[in-house]
Amino acid sequence: MAADLRVGTTGARPGAMGFLTDTTLCIGCKACEVACKQWNQLPMDNFGFTGMSYDNTGDLGATTWRHVAFIERIDDHTGRRPVKLQPFQSNWLMLSDVCKHCVYAGCMEACPTGAIIRTEFDTVVIQQDICNGCGYCVPACPFGVPELSLTDRKAHKCTLCYDRLKDGLEPACAKACPTDAIQFGPVPQLMERARKRVEELHQQGVTSAYIYGDRAVGGTGGIEGLNAFFILTAPPEVYNLPAQPELPQRRVLPAFLSTAAAALALGLAAWRALRGVK
Amino acid sequence: MMTVDTGVRRWEHRRARSVGEAAATSYYGVPPIHKAHWRWSVALYFFLGGLAGASGVIASFARLFGGREARPLVRLARYLSFIAILPAPFLLIYDLGRPERFHHMLRVVKFRSPMSLGVWGLIAASATATLNAFRQAADDGMLGQRTPLAALGRRLPDRAIAALSVGPSFFLSGYTGVLLGATAVPLWAKNALLLGPLFLCSALSNACAALSVLLRRLGPASLPLIHRLERLERVALVSELILLVALEQQSGPVIARPLRTGRLGRVRNALLSAGLALPISVHLLVGQRRGRLPEALRHIATLFVLASGFALRILILFAGHASADDPEATFVFNRRGSRP
Ligand code: SF4
Ligand code: SF4
Repeated sequence: MAADLRVGTTGARPGAMGFLTDTTLCIGCKACEVACKQWNQLPMDNFGFTGMSYDNTGDLGATTWRHVAFIERIDDHTGRRPVKLQPFQSNWLMLSDVCKHCVYAGCMEACPTGAIIRTEFDTVVIQQDICNGCGYCVPACPFGVPELSLTDRKAHKCTLCYDRLKDGLEPACAKACPTDAIQFGPVPQLMERARKRVEELHQQGVTSAYIYGDRAVGGTGGIEGLNAFFILTAPPEVYNLPAQPELPQRRVLPAFLSTAAAALALGLAAWRALRGVK
Repeated sequence: MMTVDTGVRRWEHRRARSVGEAAATSYYGVPPIHKAHWRWSVALYFFLGGLAGASGVIASFARLFGGREARPLVRLARYLSFIAILPAPFLLIYDLGRPERFHHMLRVVKFRSPMSLGVWGLIAASATATLNAFRQAADDGMLGQRTPLAALGRRLPDRAIAALSVGPSFFLSGYTGVLLGATAVPLWAKNALLLGPLFLCSALSNACAALSVLLRRLGPASLPLIHRLERLERVALVSELILLVALEQQSGPVIARPLRTGRLGRVRNALLSAGLALPISVHLLVGQRRGRLPEALRHIATLFVLASGFALRILILFAGHASADDPEATFVFNRRGSRP
């Protein structure tokens, strides 16, 4: 599968800032999760065990804007841990997941109040004073990012530290990452860096490495790329990411047209049935 | 750090089936997307909106094309449309949690957001439903004979407001299907083109059923008028049945899973048999026996049609939730070549 996932381009607008999250460098320390929670004053989640290896937060949500996934690779044939190590890493895959700040964002187009805006950094932010908790952005995101909080019944997600960017700082997670697995910068520059890194990985024998978030992968169907993109070494589904996500709003016009056609047909039936009752 | 109850997290929805077995191809079976929070109140809103919209359509068509004989139908349909739309804003506010949030909905108009269009459509449909009911009340003398209110009502251009309400009424009974289709939820997204028409047909059959029973009970309506209404109901019911089967077919085995298993599977079976097949058969019998069928049987069929309208919304809503919780469904939908 991964072989035909080509290193491609993104449809990012000029001046777009974003994240490159290189999962091959991630050591699963969760510094990003903690830094994000601290900077954004997010409360701790219910204390408990997910039962999913070292993952204690489970998924992205209203109070978890960075989520480190721990994917333990079990040997396909024997069902046991493989004895041979990957060239560059252990048998763990680790992914610090985050809002993708899509070039065309489903959440933003769905929002009926205009609470979700595109900032001057081309990132996608929910304005808390305007969100009315209708929750339509929640199922409209193809990546399962925003969530309604039960405390204020409003939608929350990563802001790419808009307040820090305003002051010329990099986002808290990127700042905290000890291995530079999370890099922040202008999207074209990051994409250039990502391409080089993938080439490097291929030379080191990790031929499965690719960029998730370019036009070829994770940015098709109207999304046109992600401003926060990833270097992955396994099919997207392994990381719980959709392979070819689509912008839900591309279906609005066709769906309205089909509904209008049905209305026309039913109107005709109603006219035939009710006309000229004398 | 303080602890806050954040509710049920996505990973807590893991299906026992998916854990082990799907661990190689998904993340411990955790749903890759978030489902909507919508519950019964939203299903009720969909149902009442459909009923109000379709009644509005029938009222307008009967007023514009039906002639004198159709007057009792016009009257009942206008009142039904008005009464059915009354709870809609309250259900919406109940879903949002706070009244002032409704007004945030009116900040902007967004053509790519069915939620935004829907609020404006609801307002337009409420306005035309109110105008129509107002005119009708004036005609019926409910506002008094010589009061200024009655005079005002009688001055409303009857045919014009009837014509005006066709658009918003159709919109109100169909847009909710588009709203569901424009999400990342596999079952809804896959059937984006079918949901609007399906909701329209169901709304029309509901309205026809309710109105024909009201006409029989409250009269005075000629039997031919009732039979015409029942013919329309038949068309709507048969189309609904076809669309529902088509929806299940084109979803494919994985995405359609929630429609076939468990409690929702039973809802779907009841819907197909008691909600659609049974009323259609009763209709055919009525057609053959020229209306000589026990009154009770008709009433039961009507009741079943109305119940099926609500059951359809419940089924589509909660089956959507279940498909959003199923990683396999999301992944299947998001592979190129599997989309409509
Ligand atoms: S990943 Fe989801 S929440 Fe983030 S910008 Fe894209 S659609 Fe919006
Ligand atoms: S929950 Fe808030 S941000 Fe999300 S769509 Fe509704 S108003 Fe917009």
